[in-house]
Amino acid sequence: MPRQLHTLGEESGETGTVDTGVPRSWLTTRLDYLINWSRRNSLWPMPFGTACCAIEMMGAAASKYDIGRFGMERMSFSPRQADLMIVAGRVSYKLAPVLRKVWDQMPQPKWCVSMGACASSGGMFDNYTIVQGIDSVVPVDVYVPGCPPRPEGLIYGLLMVQEKIKGESVSDPAAREEAASATGRPNLPPEVIELVSQPFGNSTKQNRVSGLEATSAVDRPGDRVERLLEHRG
Amino acid sequence: MPEVMPGVSADAFVRAAPPSGGAAEDHPSVRALRSRIGDGLDRVHRDAIGVPVAVVAPDRLEEALRFLKEDPDQSYELLLDVMGADTGGGRPLQVWYQLWSLRHGRMMRVVAEPPWEELALPTATGMWESANWLEREVYDMYGVTFRGHPDLRRILMPENYAEGFPLRKDFPLRGRFSRAEQVRRSLSESLEDVYARQELDLAARIPGAGQGLEELPVGMSPEDVGEAAHGLEGEKMLINLGPQHPATHGVLRLVLELDGERILRCIPHLGYLHTGFEKTSEYREWNQVIPYTDRMDYLAPMIYNIGYALAVESLLGIDITPRCRVVRVILMELNRILGHLLWLGTTGIDLGAFTVFLYTFQEREKIYNLHEAYCGGRITTSVTRVGGMVADLPVGWLDAVAEFCGGLPETLDQVEDLLTRNAIWLARTEDVGTMGPSEAVSYGLTGPSLRASGVPYDVRKARPYLGYDEYDFDVPVGEHGDTYDRYLVRIEEIRQSLRIIEQALERGVPDGPMDVQDRRVILPPKSEAMGNIDSMISHFKLVMEGLQVPPGEVWYSVEASKGELGFGIISDGGNKPVRCRFRAPSFVNLSALPRMVQGELVADVIAVNASLDIVLGEIDR
Repeated sequence: MPRQLHTLGEESGETGTVDTGVPRSWLTTRLDYLINWSRRNSLWPMPFGTACCAIEMMGAAASKYDIGRFGMERMSFSPRQADLMIVAGRVSYKLAPVLRKVWDQMPQPKWCVSMGACASSGGMFDNYTIVQGIDSVVPVDVYVPGCPPRPEGLIYGLLMVQEKIKGESVSDPAAREEAASATGRPNLPPEVIELVSQPFGNSTKQNRVSGLEATSAVDRPGDRVERLLEHRG
Repeated sequence: MPEVMPGVSADAFVRAAPPSGGAAEDHPSVRALRSRIGDGLDRVHRDAIGVPVAVVAPDRLEEALRFLKEDPDQSYELLLDVMGADTGGGRPLQVWYQLWSLRHGRMMRVVAEPPWEELALPTATGMWESANWLEREVYDMYGVTFRGHPDLRRILMPENYAEGFPLRKDFPLRGRFSRAEQVRRSLSESLEDVYARQELDLAARIPGAGQGLEELPVGMSPEDVGEAAHGLEGEKMLINLGPQHPATHGVLRLVLELDGERILRCIPHLGYLHTGFEKTSEYREWNQVIPYTDRMDYLAPMIYNIGYALAVESLLGIDITPRCRVVRVILMELNRILGHLLWLGTTGIDLGAFTVFLYTFQEREKIYNLHEAYCGGRITTSVTRVGGMVADLPVGWLDAVAEFCGGLPETLDQVEDLLTRNAIWLARTEDVGTMGPSEAVSYGLTGPSLRASGVPYDVRKARPYLGYDEYDFDVPVGEHGDTYDRYLVRIEEIRQSLRIIEQALERGVPDGPMDVQDRRVILPPKSEAMGNIDSMISHFKLVMEGLQVPPGEVWYSVEASKGELGFGIISDGGNKPVRCRFRAPSFVNLSALPRMVQGELVADVIAVNASLDIVLGEIDR
């Protein structure tokens, strides 16, 4: 760890702890670095587990995979004492306000991992009850693909959150901004929700039932990620 | 002396009589029903597995059901399922009542067809407690009103759901409103407002509740305090547990009405994980439904895979190969162990015994490795195809199963050392959440939860499938019906499942093909499809048109790790199911929770809920 510290003697190439000769040694560093270091190595995940992915999340916490190795074994079941929400599993429209409430209850700084296909895009459940991607409800930092992702996949996603935290700055007011008025409002504008939740691939063809009833086929819009990036400018 | 179900011996399993080949009219129950209600019995037929189906006029339904339940020669004590079925094309809506007689070992289905103009039927809640939630689900999905139902509300969809009744054929798969509107609506109301309104509304509507909501007197004088404190006795409080709670095993919400720490009433709210499996299945080809079945009970996925395949095969009328039968038995029992191990670990956590979780998850990882070696997936296995399996077994796989079976008993003994005679464990589970046999049957409990109450009913014994009658295994039956008995029964079931697997391995898995050699059902191997014209044609037809299942209906059930898993399937001869109903065992089992926790302490709700072994994926579907 000391090799990365930025110290007073950085220009002259001296890095690491500064031996002052006094009994209690001290060190200097960049505030951002220190804060990010402590934030990313003691993430307290709030497991928002709903379905199959939650079982793999439990697997990640159990004997074989043991996310305690990354400073995350302290699963916080209260959103008030958590800074990382792991949404594991499908979220229905009935559950969406609960998800939002839990997210709103978490204090800043906070991050969100969307685990698995259902949480990220609705997955194979392109129907009347499943939210087509939780990013229409809460902002998401890392999407973990898979149906469900293996525990290794989740751990990799969590390490990506740590990477992301490395690049943040406490002096950036926009980074952790949260408008009070946004509580209870969708996280994306309506037209973006429409675009990203359009069916794609094979599912556009699956609108018929044994010739009994038909719903109109839908045009295939652009790629989901492209649309999201477009929206974010 | 343990209570025993009247007329049912606790140590004898009643085996279903082999289906008689004759006309449905010859079935004893149908004859009796005919003589009882005469013209009220509209028509009768047999379904794909020979179960008699009696279509009854809606106004005679109550009489028919009551007769079938209460007449000692019929005594259909177990209402397994109530399901709606809209087959489209202007045909009348059907409501199926699936009945099983524990005493006589008979299965029967009563069907009512209420006209579309007046979708109303008499309730069956007066006869079977299990009808309560099942009827609510039919109301939620089809809009059928059940006259006299004590609490007819939506159960899976939000109570203010405005888009209609999802399982009707005129309801589009993706809902009536646009996606943005659906998101907006779901987020538009403050959650506290919705919950508070629901709780107050319930408290006001259900007789006997709600006194706790009266305001405490303000500005009382000091001398009143003593009297007021006396008056506080019996003061009630409503608390909300869930839906996001670590001990509810998923997104289950319970509203508890308390008197101090005692539970007066428990009102479960479901549907937070409603995934529309049944609706989506109507839009998928027969084999495409299999991946959906994994995701209902993701604790024991292969049981769902195999059960669904068996149900469709019964509609097709095909016999699977001997090799496939044995492999399916091995996989089913492995998954029963998988489900029970998860139950054991999480129940341990709930009651403060974390160590057990680490032990059982170690064993679960070994089963996951077996899954992975066979089909590539850990949880979402999709291991069956209609008519066979996804692939033949990999070389050495059976040896790995044998190795796992050799190692599990030791872990199980360690877990039992930790729990079975543990004073804290006993104090938390003994005489907690007790349910007697008659009540358990009335609530429609199945699986280990029913057997812990002393009722010997196991689908593997009652209506053997996959040749379960050729295996020598015991089905443990409890005496007291409390949480501790449910624990003991499941532990013993793990050992019995091991016995079945070991027998299968000992006899050897038969050689020969894994899939049926019927080219209308199973794809020909690639080499053949490329080599000869017949195979090429059948390959082309299966890929382009999909599997065609002849018109028919079936209600097929298997013994899942949670209870009786039923598949109510209707085909119109096309390449997709017209109705694909999953009778989820935990859904019906959970409906007994309010009764079980009545009068217990708040902490016992966690213990009892855990002991029912629920999985929200299949409850909410």
